[in-house]
Amino acid sequence: MSIKVNNPIGKKHRQETSSDRFQWIGKRVPRIDGPEKVTGELQYMTDRSYPNMVWGKVLRAKYPHARITNIDTTQAKVLPGVICVLTYRDIPGFNGFGIVTPDQPVLCEDVVRCTADAVALVAAETNEIAEEALNLIQVDYEPLEVVADAEYAMTEQAPQLHPDGNIHSHVKINNGDVNQAFEEADYIFENTYYSPRQMHAFIETEGGWGMLEEDGVLTIQCPGQYAYRDRLQISRALGLNPESIHVISSPNGGAFGGKDEITVQIYLALLALHSGGRPVKIHLSREESVQAGMKRHPFKVQVKTAAKKDGTIIANQVRAVADTGAYASLGPAVIALAVEHACGPYKIPHVDIEGFCVYTNNGIAGAFRGFGVNQVCVGIETHLDMTAEKIGMDPIEIRKINAYRQGETSSIGHVVKSSVGTHQTLDKAQNCDLWVNRASYKKQPSEPWKKRGVAVATSFHGVGMGIGTPDYGAASIELLPDGRLKVAVGCEEIGTGNGTVYAQVCAEMLHCDMSDITVVQGDTSETLDGGTVTASRSIYTGSKAIATVAPQMIQLLAETAAEILHTPAKNMEIENSTVIDKKDPSNSLTFIEIYDYLSKAKASTKVNGHFYLPKEKEEIKGSGGAPHHIYGYMTHVVMVEVDTLTGETDVLRVVSIPDCGRVMNLQGLEGQTEGGAIMGIGYTLYEDVAIEEGYHKTKNFADYIFPTIRETPEIETIPVEDPEPTNPFGAKGIGEVVMIPIIPAIMSAIYDATGARVRHLPATPERIFEAMKPMNKSAPISSR
Amino acid sequence: MKVSEMEMISPTSVHECLHALTDQQKSSRLIAGGTDAVVRMKDRNWMPDIWINIKGLKELRYIREDASGLHIGPLTTHTDIVKSELLQSKADVLTFAAKEVGATQMQNMGTLGGNLGTASPAGDTIPALYVLDAHIQLSSLHQIRSVPIKDFFIGPGKTVIKPDEMISDIVIRPQEKNEIGIFEKLGPRKAQSISIVNFTASLKIKAQTRQCIGGKLAFGSVAPTIIRAKKCESMLLLDPLDEHMIQNIAKVAWKEVAPISDIRASANYRKDMASALLERGLYRLMKRWENK
Ligand SMILES: Cc1cc2nc3c(=O)[nH]c(=O)nc-3n(C[C@H](O)[C@H](O)[C@H](O)COP(=O)(O)OP(=O)(O)OC[C@H]3O[C@@H](n4cnc5c(N)ncnc54)[C@H](O)[C@@H]3O)c2cc1C
Repeated sequence: MSIKVNNPIGKKHRQETSSDRFQWIGKRVPRIDGPEKVTGELQYMTDRSYPNMVWGKVLRAKYPHARITNIDTTQAKVLPGVICVLTYRDIPGFNGFGIVTPDQPVLCEDVVRCTADAVALVAAETNEIAEEALNLIQVDYEPLEVVADAEYAMTEQAPQLHPDGNIHSHVKINNGDVNQAFEEADYIFENTYYSPRQMHAFIETEGGWGMLEEDGVLTIQCPGQYAYRDRLQISRALGLNPESIHVISSPNGGAFGGKDEITVQIYLALLALHSGGRPVKIHLSREESVQAGMKRHPFKVQVKTAAKKDGTIIANQVRAVADTGAYASLGPAVIALAVEHACGPYKIPHVDIEGFCVYTNNGIAGAFRGFGVNQVCVGIETHLDMTAEKIGMDPIEIRKINAYRQGETSSIGHVVKSSVGTHQTLDKAQNCDLWVNRASYKKQPSEPWKKRGVAVATSFHGVGMGIGTPDYGAASIELLPDGRLKVAVGCEEIGTGNGTVYAQVCAEMLHCDMSDITVVQGDTSETLDGGTVTASRSIYTGSKAIATVAPQMIQLLAETAAEILHTPAKNMEIENSTVIDKKDPSNSLTFIEIYDYLSKAKASTKVNGHFYLPKEKEEIKGSGGAPHHIYGYMTHVVMVEVDTLTGETDVLRVVSIPDCGRVMNLQGLEGQTEGGAIMGIGYTLYEDVAIEEGYHKTKNFADYIFPTIRETPEIETIPVEDPEPTNPFGAKGIGEVVMIPIIPAIMSAIYDATGARVRHLPATPERIFEAMKPMNKSAPISSR
Repeated sequence: MKVSEMEMISPTSVHECLHALTDQQKSSRLIAGGTDAVVRMKDRNWMPDIWINIKGLKELRYIREDASGLHIGPLTTHTDIVKSELLQSKADVLTFAAKEVGATQMQNMGTLGGNLGTASPAGDTIPALYVLDAHIQLSSLHQIRSVPIKDFFIGPGKTVIKPDEMISDIVIRPQEKNEIGIFEKLGPRKAQSISIVNFTASLKIKAQTRQCIGGKLAFGSVAPTIIRAKKCESMLLLDPLDEHMIQNIAKVAWKEVAPISDIRASANYRKDMASALLERGLYRLMKRWENK
């Protein structure tokens, strides 16, 4: 995708601080793709159509666990209008995919392990004919015992779903001696927490286009989160040279991690090889997306925490079991991150943390904003509040006592060298209106039987990949004939507004107007491989990559101008898309003139650059990749109102206090903090995909409840800017942590309001009502 | 049967529509706002040979009053109901219910006739029609009959409408001067949600007092069809409706309902919520009464 920058900067300025030295960075800049998105001019890829197109469909497994004894496609193949019917026999290369462990068959051969499994593909003249053809494919199954529970899966009796057993990964971090600490503790809190199977619920379901071009190039247009890795996985399944595959993965109608793994790219590629050069479209219905798409891992987390009377937490023991469904995808990485973050941004001396990534027949779980931290932040934050209540300490104070500072040793035992903003975020929380005046807000419930509560929570989230996964960024800048600059970064635009920041950075570095920048993202023929748009990394990585390559462009411009003007290059300066001789300002050349000169000389007008993300040197043994070098920190303050008659809970106010290093674009940051807060509210109060015995009980958005505008509270953003030294602008990442501490904050606010603790999320009205029952003996509430 | 093989006709008068319904060669179904019909077609539950599109029949979209009561045309949308001053003053409870159907888009497209036609136990306007003693007028080419609302539904999704009939009018009694209503809905969220339980009340109250002199209470989504809470209704008359009295009635409410457990809520919670919504509803109703 390429987008022109039209209306570069908004009028609204906040009180500028450190960013004053920048012209573009840190300003409240409207999104460069805003007008196109608002007017609908920018189409979803899945809304496009082509003359001569054909429709593809996927036959999913009928059972959550069964042996396939026969697949007969004869009848489907002869149905008029059917172009091809494909099974595992038609896969030229390796029949599997998966980001780390490719254990998921492209098309199942002998066994199906969940109802997301694909068994056959059809291409036909119309969507309806394709659908009809699916019904004509005869698959004979022998149903097998369904593994519906992760802890059952870990037992000897459970059928083994994969050759290496059902425990796909087991990671641990141990520090100090928890048993000793439990003996020395003044208080011990021990609880079990259950988390929901949240759905990404992007507005654009999985889909895209496959086309075999006349020159033999296979073009896959499919919204994704890492075009180069998608290309690799496609090429592996097709046995094709990656160079002959062109993947376009941006723009994207929402992803949140749910399009990190292969969605339909390989199906599109296979069908495109059999459709006689006609473009093939697959677009999942919402129902198919619910059944086949990735979900967040549901966790069971047992937490035992030891505290002293002075408020210090001296030990934390965590056992987390994650249901990864039938295939690994990024499950092991999710579990590793959960273990890394399970003790919060604190310096607890004795910890014993372990996590299991376990196969079941419950669909497939994978990457999702927060990546394991959402599930584990709840235990430590709740136990901090319990300790504070026991000893009569302020909830913010107890967090300050326990939170590490830059240079201190974290709970997982590494010295944190990068920026740490926890204390600043807690200071801001302590001084925000909602916290300062919480007592008076709590006294004003909207109706007499309603109760209000205010609570705070803090958390953190690693930025970029941990140890063991290559992590690099890349960008290119090209001078165009009209004197504009095209900046190309691999990281897709998945809705976050990263492209706007790329334009800001390029304009800043090259001293031109943002409207002179064109941004290209997510296209293997246009952008270099610069890693994924995941792990809260695309602002940190993209901005640094552009800053790495920009000096080369400056050099190219200056040297070319020097050559033309016969002046030393060191005298050259760039201003307003013009190269000027400092010594003699009348001596200048526009970017257009420089382009003309270079193009006549047949010289390249494009520069490329890349860099490696900083990493910790030593991995914590057995942790699966911890620690990260950089973390983003975050505190939330929330106010809820609970209807004690029904258990209905409204989040009334949210104060979102991110430490994101330098704020690159305040408007973009607010987009993240607000969207993250709403997603966190959904996670805590509403959302869950129900699966029973391997079958989805939740079918579509009619029974998957997520917040609407009526559940959206007032959200205030108070950024803390603790600059990260390894980014040229001081930026860190923010995409995930913005939805994390709000989860325990809402849970604690419900407790603050009612005295009831809900440990099984989502905290639906029914669960809250049940938890309140013991509290309400004397209250004016009807009871049976 | 494929969706693309379905036919749709759009009659230009009620008479033409009834003619089309009389043709029993092919299966047919009316489509008004389509907010239920299209969803069920997509799920392949409603797959008639012919859709009879009545959205354009302006003669069935009206709200008016005459000696026999308030008349609402079946094609009246929920938005029409919410905005009607006549209904706000004489059938407040129906306007409150219509305001809770889905959200704005559904209220603009969805019709009262469609809400009745779908006959969901969770249909939000239906309890209001119970407490307002609605009569549903059914027309066929050769006959017009009037069915009291309590006889109209025979089970979830089932009504007494015959294949050649359509709803042609909905008649309700106007509320009296001293009558005031309330609609309470508990769904999994505030907008676009199906009722877990809903509760409707319309009470006559003696001027300047809290003494109820007659009232009707109905619950939705707690049984195969709407339930009138007769025990609670008789309790309404015993004492002035102060907080204590309201709680006493609420304590009985759960016994009047017969809910099931499903993915949205357990039967026990629904029972508790029958009590809770009655308590909350009557409390809110009396508060409005006092401020009147
Ligand atoms: C997102 C969403 C949210 C919703 N939320 C709610 C809610 O909160 N509460 C609620 O009660 N409903 C809700 N609904 C259901 C629906 O909107 C209502 O039931 C609406 O009133 C249906 O009216 P309609 O005109 O769209 O009916 P249609 O879909 O056009 O028809 C529904 C049925 O009624 C029949 N019918 C229509 N008109 C007549 C007539 N004149 N005579 C005989 N039969 C007729 C049709 O043949 C069909 O069987 C929701 C639906 C959606 C999609």
